[in-house]
Amino acid sequence: MIAMQRLKLLLSFIVMLTLTTAVSATEPPSHLAMVQTALDKHIIPHIEALKTAAEALPPAVEAVCKTGSPEARHALDEKFAATVTAYAGVDFLRFGPMLEKGRREQISLWPDPRGFVGRQLRMLLLSKDEKLAEPGALAKQSAAVQGLPALELLMRDADVPLGPTEPAQFRCVMAQAIARNIVRVTSKVFEGWTKPGGWKDKMLNPGPDNDTYKNASESAVEVVKSFLVGMSQTADLQLKPQVDPKIRLAPPYNKSGLQKQFYAASIASLHQLYDAVQLEAYLKPDMAWMKGWSQGTWRTIESVDGAGGRAPHAKRADTPTSREVFDRMNGMRNIVANRLSIAAGLTIGFNELDGD
Amino acid sequence: MSLTVIDRRSLLLGTLAFVGAASHGKAFASVADRDIAYVATARKGMKDYCVLLLRADGSIVREVPLTARGHDIAYDHASGRVAVFARRPGVFGVAFDIDKATPPHIFTPGKDRHYYGHGGFSRDGRLLYTSEADVESESGLIGIYDVERGYKKIGEHPSYGIGPHEIMLLADGKTIAVGNGGLDTVPDAGRENLNVDTMEPSLAFVDAESGKLVAKHAMTGDLKSLSIRHVTQDKTGLIWFGGQWEGSPSETPQIVGSAGLDRALKLVDAPGGGMDLRGYIGAMAVSNDGRFIAASAPKAGHVLYVDSETGAVVGKSDLKDVCGLSSEGEHNFAASSGFGVIRYETAQARVISEHALQDIAFDNHLRRIA
Repeated sequence: MIAMQRLKLLLSFIVMLTLTTAVSATEPPSHLAMVQTALDKHIIPHIEALKTAAEALPPAVEAVCKTGSPEARHALDEKFAATVTAYAGVDFLRFGPMLEKGRREQISLWPDPRGFVGRQLRMLLLSKDEKLAEPGALAKQSAAVQGLPALELLMRDADVPLGPTEPAQFRCVMAQAIARNIVRVTSKVFEGWTKPGGWKDKMLNPGPDNDTYKNASESAVEVVKSFLVGMSQTADLQLKPQVDPKIRLAPPYNKSGLQKQFYAASIASLHQLYDAVQLEAYLKPDMAWMKGWSQGTWRTIESVDGAGGRAPHAKRADTPTSREVFDRMNGMRNIVANRLSIAAGLTIGFNELDGD
Repeated sequence: MSLTVIDRRSLLLGTLAFVGAASHGKAFASVADRDIAYVATARKGMKDYCVLLLRADGSIVREVPLTARGHDIAYDHASGRVAVFARRPGVFGVAFDIDKATPPHIFTPGKDRHYYGHGGFSRDGRLLYTSEADVESESGLIGIYDVERGYKKIGEHPSYGIGPHEIMLLADGKTIAVGNGGLDTVPDAGRENLNVDTMEPSLAFVDAESGKLVAKHAMTGDLKSLSIRHVTQDKTGLIWFGGQWEGSPSETPQIVGSAGLDRALKLVDAPGGGMDLRGYIGAMAVSNDGRFIAASAPKAGHVLYVDSETGAVVGKSDLKDVCGLSSEGEHNFAASSGFGVIRYETAQARVISEHALQDIAFDNHLRRIA
């Protein structure tokens, strides 16, 4: 019951975010106002939502390990799904506190085409080292065994399911350690953003003495770059395998059947960020066609389920092909990087977007 | 040398890269090629990629379209041959003669291989070396291609690390310096780095003929997350490298340094440290007199200049999204940016002249031809 209430709360939170960030302003915001809105309406709420969702994992794992009951398993499934979808909403915020100490990889090492998670976890299980349950011990291990994919493997192992019986004893020790570690890392990320002098303050107080952002435009560029990263990631890692059947890449959290939820959460978060930064408000009348184009693109992207099918609340009458959605995503990326950001006076370099 | 079989799928992809080139009217028209001063990969407009052959004033002599993003360019001065490599983790290479209006050769790395965007010709111009990955084993490789046989792949050497990026044949003509970035990527997972927490970057020196390891400097301790990417060589034979920091941004170390076959690694003491360069060096170059070293930092919009004789930073210029670097004259440099700018400046960061191209975004590397 409580789980359902939390799920409803999460859903209403997402709806609220969508509504509050809907485009309404016609006056273009200053770059600092753009950053403030992105932080208040998108970044901080999403980071907090991840922390909150993660906090429900340890008791849920504990309940399964104590009782092994179907109710406890169902509750853990829900908490896990809520945490994974909350993570999908911040996966592309690859700057600031998420980059420190390799936290992103510690929370969610995906994609994992080489199967690092399974390999590392097997070694850990063979060791049966109970000291790994001590505070901070897991944090010294490979990122592959610290986060959601490792917990998912333990949850979905049909041969030795988590529960109170002997074969699962050490697995439960590990599952609880992983769940606590996810709480630790997501809390660190939240703290890194929100503490006095944290990353939020850093973005809102640019200047010569700021070691990262020398002016408000640089803070705003950071936000827009994260949107571009998100569009690229979603297109290349979630859509492209459907476009090119030769690509062998397991969808995110597929063992838990969360591929569609992950896609929906990624897109919802990107759309909310797009609305929050209000780049379209900078468009001159002769470029207003881009607004219509972007609306059509969002409609297209949101009309698929990310797994080759139709989204439950699709607004397009027909179901777009994965190829069309993939192309639209790349088109959106190009429009934002090369047209909208320039209209907004933000210069995002071709070479600075990713290293090589 | 182990022989490899060219993958038909890869070959097709590489060929597709030149479908556009073959039908492009101006691409192979007769032109005054002796005017060509630089070659660069670039984006034209919003999504078209190409190789540009440029005059010193930045005007375009010739344009070769690509269907995907290119990266670095190798040039053999004696023969006038140019080779361009797909950006990581691409699977096509393109080679053509700079003085002739002939169609280019397409080459591929073979089955279960991909490029990292860099390569170089042997001193006699008969071989082309490329940085590659064995996708299955994660191992880094140096691919070897026979130029006269249409860039046929004839062998591979180990790079002695994961993720080799820039490779450079040293002045001795027999040793290849390899910046092993330490980062594992596979084409199916796009450009995602798969092993950041276990990466083992290094600077390796490999005998070009035998493939044996001559020397290796591993990044360890506080530098274990410093991915070595780009290299150049000064007049004394010392290798200068630029890295990409993959660790916590708040712990960014210095990211430019030097090392020799028998000299330990040493980092440059740049004011503001690696954080001021946003933890990323996109290209390295040496002045024609071999004295000054340039390192571009596109995320920070700086070029850092170092006097190799003293190891001291002597200049730092500002240019938004600067990345491509090349020597110019005896002591100066040319720098290109993602905003279509080619700028000439001294190692003391004094701007000599600047040219801007409309609708062109220069990619990471710029190669001097003249």
